[in-house]
Amino acid sequence: MIRLHNVTKVYDRDVVAVREVGLEVAKGEFVFLVGPSGSGKSTLLRLMMREERPDTGEVWVAGKHASSLPSWKVPHLRRSIGTVFQDFKLLPNKSVYENVSFALEVTGRSRHVIRNQVPQVLKLVGLSNKADRQPRQLSGGEQQRVSIARAFVNRPLILLADEPTGNLDPATSVGIMRILDRINRTGTTVVMATHDHAIVDAMRRRVVQLDEGRVIRDQRSGAYEIRVQSNVAQPAEPEELLAEVEEEIEADEPLPEESVASSSDETGKAALPDEGPALPAEELSGEGPEVAKPDEPEAQTS
Amino acid sequence: MRIAYVLNEAFNNIRRNGLVVLGAVLAVFVSLFLTFGTLIFGEIARVNTERWQEDVRVIGFLRTDFREVDALRAEIENWEEVDKVIYFSPTEALAEARELFKDDPRQLQIIEDEPSIIPASLRVRPVDLNEYDTIKQRLTNSPGISDVISADEAVQQIAAIRDGLRVFFWVLAVALGVAAVALIANTIHMAIYARREELEIMHLVGASNWFVRTPFLIEGVVEGVLGSGLAVATGIGLYNLARDRLADLPEFINLTIDNAFLLRWGMLMVAFGAVVGIIGSGISLAVHKYVRT
Repeated sequence: MIRLHNVTKVYDRDVVAVREVGLEVAKGEFVFLVGPSGSGKSTLLRLMMREERPDTGEVWVAGKHASSLPSWKVPHLRRSIGTVFQDFKLLPNKSVYENVSFALEVTGRSRHVIRNQVPQVLKLVGLSNKADRQPRQLSGGEQQRVSIARAFVNRPLILLADEPTGNLDPATSVGIMRILDRINRTGTTVVMATHDHAIVDAMRRRVVQLDEGRVIRDQRSGAYEIRVQSNVAQPAEPEELLAEVEEEIEADEPLPEESVASSSDETGKAALPDEGPALPAEELSGEGPEVAKPDEPEAQTS
Repeated sequence: MRIAYVLNEAFNNIRRNGLVVLGAVLAVFVSLFLTFGTLIFGEIARVNTERWQEDVRVIGFLRTDFREVDALRAEIENWEEVDKVIYFSPTEALAEARELFKDDPRQLQIIEDEPSIIPASLRVRPVDLNEYDTIKQRLTNSPGISDVISADEAVQQIAAIRDGLRVFFWVLAVALGVAAVALIANTIHMAIYARREELEIMHLVGASNWFVRTPFLIEGVVEGVLGSGLAVATGIGLYNLARDRLADLPEFINLTIDNAFLLRWGMLMVAFGAVVGIIGSGISLAVHKYVRT
């Protein structure tokens, strides 16, 4: 779904943001990009969404050779990529509904499609009852859910998230992660850059760690930091956090067992969501299980 | 859906930036009004001077008792500075006088009472416009000529004013045209800047370039067309007003110009306004990073 081959990106002649990165992300994968600020996470995402072109190397995204794609074809590529940012990027003078329908309107979808899709996706993120609100009337977590809804309403093949929980408190962050997880379960490939140790450690997904523009670790169902790997016991912090979170959002199931138990499991596939109950859909929006099946025909064509 | 959306966006932009849009429209208006005015004035001047240049005559009125008209005419025609001499008989002169004074019943009455006061004349067309003075001089000294008049001064004045004003107005119109393009570019620039968040999101979700840019192009065209439409309307209005007010001008100046001329150039002006709008918004779209992928 995404392939980077020997990619280097240099800003202003001497600031090397990404150095000889090779990375392959399969369809349906969930990948965390971790690393300190300035390690190249955001640049990698920008290369994937063809906001930037690499100086050397090649980038394939959704079957397209993104690094050589002429700019007039970029819009088409973007329609198969949903993007979520730390600062939400919502339009302040549009309602929740309008913010989401905007993505369909400007790509020329019919009114019929809009009337169909927007309520569905708002339901998916649990904001059906706030469709008429303005972004400023929403909490940060709710705003981020609107932005996820907007990113997903096109049913993209890929969802790129740049620190989507960066502005949110831990409890709210977990809610956001549940939605991203759910979107991932529809077959959408998710790549998420983050600083959030707790989330990475709890989710146990593939972790790609960057440092000074290089990939220094690529691990199936990894944790944020490599030392977690060697510890048999999970650090206390995430567990406490999760307990707290679960109270708050009245979740009746904890995060998947293997997220804690399989810390030494490096086979990867075992940790993929099909395995366990993971994040049951109904607890996301409290609107019943049928919500968990956004139709995915578009996501299947590549 | 798409067309409706794009149009809607364009008109929303215009509405939101009323004052700035007004400035751009006025700039186009002033520039094209001057251009259109210059065109109308030029056409009036052309119509008038052309008539004189083709027809221009030094007129020698003949004494009523002069009999050797044909001989005199032949002689004058032999002058090297003379192109042609036409004999205007008393009957023709009377017909012309009736035409000239048709709006003036008292003058007309005088003529009708005593038709013989209208003299016959020799009308001389010079080879060159500069030969007036020589012809005038020689005609005055010829036998049988009671009086000599010519239209040279009026003609030369008109031509001089025309040429001077033409240069002045064209320089002004071009300068203001450039200003109009710049003001439209600025208006579009501001509209783009005001909507940069929206544009960024449009690019992120995969809106095509034309979808992002067309509303701004339309906005520029609407501003250009509004300005030029106003300019043409004002130009035609003022022209009509002037023609009616200045009906008492000396009869050798003809203020009437062809409606087809006004229509043709009016439409060209509006089209030109649209082009100014496209260039203005095109410049803005070319330099602005928010409208590029």
